[in-house]
Amino acid sequence: GVCPVVYMQGSTRRVGIMTDIHRRFLQLLMTHGVLEEWEVQRLQNHCFKVHDRNAAVEKLEDFINNINSILESLYIEIKKGITEDDGRPIYALVNLATTSVSKMATDFAENELDLFRKALELIIDSETGFASSTNILNLVDQLKGKKMRKKEAEHVLQKFVQSKWLIEKEGEFTLHGRAILEMEQFIRETYPDAVKMCNICHSLLIRGQSCETCGIRMHLPCVAKYFQSNSEPRCPHCNDYWPHEIPEVFDPEKEREAGVSKSTRKSLRSRQH
Amino acid sequence: MLSKPRGRGRPSPHTDRDRGGGGRGDETPSTSRGPGSAQETPGSSWSLSASAPAPGARTQKQLELKVAELVQFLLIKDQKKIPIKRTDILKHVIGDYRDIYPNLLKLAAERLQYVFGYELVELEPKSNSYILVNTLEPMEDDAEVRGDQGTPTTGLLMIVLGLIFMKGNTITETEVWDFLRRLGVYPTKKHLVFGDPKKLITEDFVRQRYLEYRRIPHTDPVDYELQWGPRTNLETSKMKVLKFVAKIHKQDPKDWPAQYCEALADEEKRARPAINAPASLLNSEMGSEGLGQGSGTQRHRAKE
Repeated sequence: GVCPVVYMQGSTRRVGIMTDIHRRFLQLLMTHGVLEEWEVQRLQNHCFKVHDRNAAVEKLEDFINNINSILESLYIEIKKGITEDDGRPIYALVNLATTSVSKMATDFAENELDLFRKALELIIDSETGFASSTNILNLVDQLKGKKMRKKEAEHVLQKFVQSKWLIEKEGEFTLHGRAILEMEQFIRETYPDAVKMCNICHSLLIRGQSCETCGIRMHLPCVAKYFQSNSEPRCPHCNDYWPHEIPEVFDPEKEREAGVSKSTRKSLRSRQH
Repeated sequence: MLSKPRGRGRPSPHTDRDRGGGGRGDETPSTSRGPGSAQETPGSSWSLSASAPAPGARTQKQLELKVAELVQFLLIKDQKKIPIKRTDILKHVIGDYRDIYPNLLKLAAERLQYVFGYELVELEPKSNSYILVNTLEPMEDDAEVRGDQGTPTTGLLMIVLGLIFMKGNTITETEVWDFLRRLGVYPTKKHLVFGDPKKLITEDFVRQRYLEYRRIPHTDPVDYELQWGPRTNLETSKMKVLKFVAKIHKQDPKDWPAQYCEALADEEKRARPAINAPASLLNSEMGSEGLGQGSGTQRHRAKE
């Protein structure tokens, strides 16, 4: 069936049309918590292949915008972000209205959700964006719901890592890009005084670099872009010399080459039958 | 998303688009219970942070939001493959909007079909529990791009469903294990892929309504019979299962003439409209007005 074009009140956005290509895409997208851009592209290609081999695969951005125009009335969207460590683009289906009907609420028990909340607060309050395992586990007695032992809490933290809500590095935990994509609005509203913001992109900052003189902060990928090919990086706010190492800008081509050379060798082997 | 701490209102749905009567047509306005009386029940992980609707009227946006919540709720619940009970829907999502529950459910069902390609279906007539049935044909290559591996346990389910069908639609638990043992699957031993096969077959698949598991009276030692559950008939068919069995044996479905005939008859029954079609939401909750699309008559199953 075709849904008539609807002009939503107050918005000039034209609502697109769903076909089975878009539906399959959404269904399969929902089986992931978060995806990298190449995975989303692969998914789109697959859906076109299944339903309309001959059609040219639409540009990903337009394809997603089309779907989002329809998802708008359901208060969800396919949101794009970048990871805080190396700036790679990621996508997740996120809730636009801050209700509690969420993926996370279903997958975890009350005490587990509270453990996450505690870890989140420690992460936000920290200087580095990391909370140590020890500090998180020490709060286990304060959790709502069923009593949880430290050993169990360690296991729960690993569950968060596996389902991509947290990242672990050397016994310390920070937010996964997925969590930031999903919860940015919630975090900014709930902890308005404690949150840090990036001086460049003006979104939530959990990890990044900061100016030692004036204290402004920037995401690593924002630093990379801002200071790209700048031999004398200076703080955009106070002009003092920027003391940190400038990371590389994320290059999807370089990534793909590294991956392709492995898979080309593999497919060449199979073609030799 | 974590539920917000109590005392914080969420972004207000009370817009200026409040039309007189709330645009709900003929329904009588719900009684107001005042702000803060929302459905936050202790222990409920779904506590709504929504404030109760303003006296008399509900805005278009509030209704939209309610439908959106319902759609999300159904999608998330269905991922666990456990039928969604009407009581849970009313308790965790609908709340104060109970008076327009059928409308909300109908709108949610439309969205689920149009946007996601899922049909909201009542598991059995009058059971007041629902599942989502995929109207898109699953493709083998889907497995490569899924994020959840489509669960390897579905392989085990298909084997059991096949067994049941080939044995005349009912089988004893003893017979099941006699067969599975030959595949290296035991009731008492942990399996590399399936984990706990006994729990899967006698508990999980039953809870998900793929199987029925009933005690056979007067058996000693006690034995149980296994049959297809209501969800199985909605999600697959005798013909599909027969084809699966044939494929494993590298034979043709027609090599089992009795089962093939039965599967053919089943296909014919499915193609016939209305009477034997599964109780689609739109027929059961809304009476037979339904809607053209997804009204449970013609369902899109690609004929193979």
